[in-house]
Amino acid sequence: MRGVADACFLIDWSRYRRKEILEKLFDLLLIHEETLLQLRSPPAIEYVSSLLASGLLRLYPWSPDDERQYSKLRDEVSLDPRIPSLERPDLLCLVIAHRTGSVLLSENLGVLRVTQFHPIYSRVKVWTSLEVLENSIYNGLISVSSVEEFLEILREYEEDARHIFNKRRVDAATRRLKEWLKR
Amino acid sequence: MGAEEWEREDREFREIRRSKADWEFIKAQPPHIRAALIYFIERGDRYVASRIAGLSLDEFDEIRRRANIPVVV
Repeated sequence: MRGVADACFLIDWSRYRRKEILEKLFDLLLIHEETLLQLRSPPAIEYVSSLLASGLLRLYPWSPDDERQYSKLRDEVSLDPRIPSLERPDLLCLVIAHRTGSVLLSENLGVLRVTQFHPIYSRVKVWTSLEVLENSIYNGLISVSSVEEFLEILREYEEDARHIFNKRRVDAATRRLKEWLKR
Repeated sequence: MGAEEWEREDREFREIRRSKADWEFIKAQPPHIRAALIYFIERGDRYVASRIAGLSLDEFDEIRRRANIPVVV
């Protein structure tokens, strides 16, 4: 599986005690140079450097055509008051995910909202850490045998990253997991 | 999900950030950091908050963690 990682996702994920599962879940992760430049803290830099060194994470070769697609998307969403402000690096990640058919790893509410209404970018699959953890279970990277164990996994992440997962999305993930556990 | 649901979600997330925040820590910060943390509580936007603080994204995030303000997504 191929993914594109944004800065917020990497900053938060670098704090997680089970962060190594990401390397087992994805075959290739792409990052834009401008995303890389957003990272400054030792945990995030060390984590991303190790991913680059292992070859799992690669810089995406940005093209003039990508830039045109970015400009079009920026014009479409930047003045929409319903969308939390989206900076250039967020939109670059969305463009890369769309062009490469990759899962976008993001903790950005604005990105999630764009993919809820945009006719083109609604095709992009966005995973927050919640969906990464859920899919790590389906792929046998985290072992759980009950919903309670799943919720404990989420609590660990919330504690490490100082997150709170949206209850509606946790409920949806829990329903999917219940079905999966019945297999 | 429509605009009304997004507004409801924004209100709900804002309330979570307000209730979890360490307000004593926030009040003790220099004005620009305090303003950035309060902006983050209100809007949940790390990028703009980091710009208000004059910090990089993850330098601001470190202060957010110390202020015990959760990212709600």
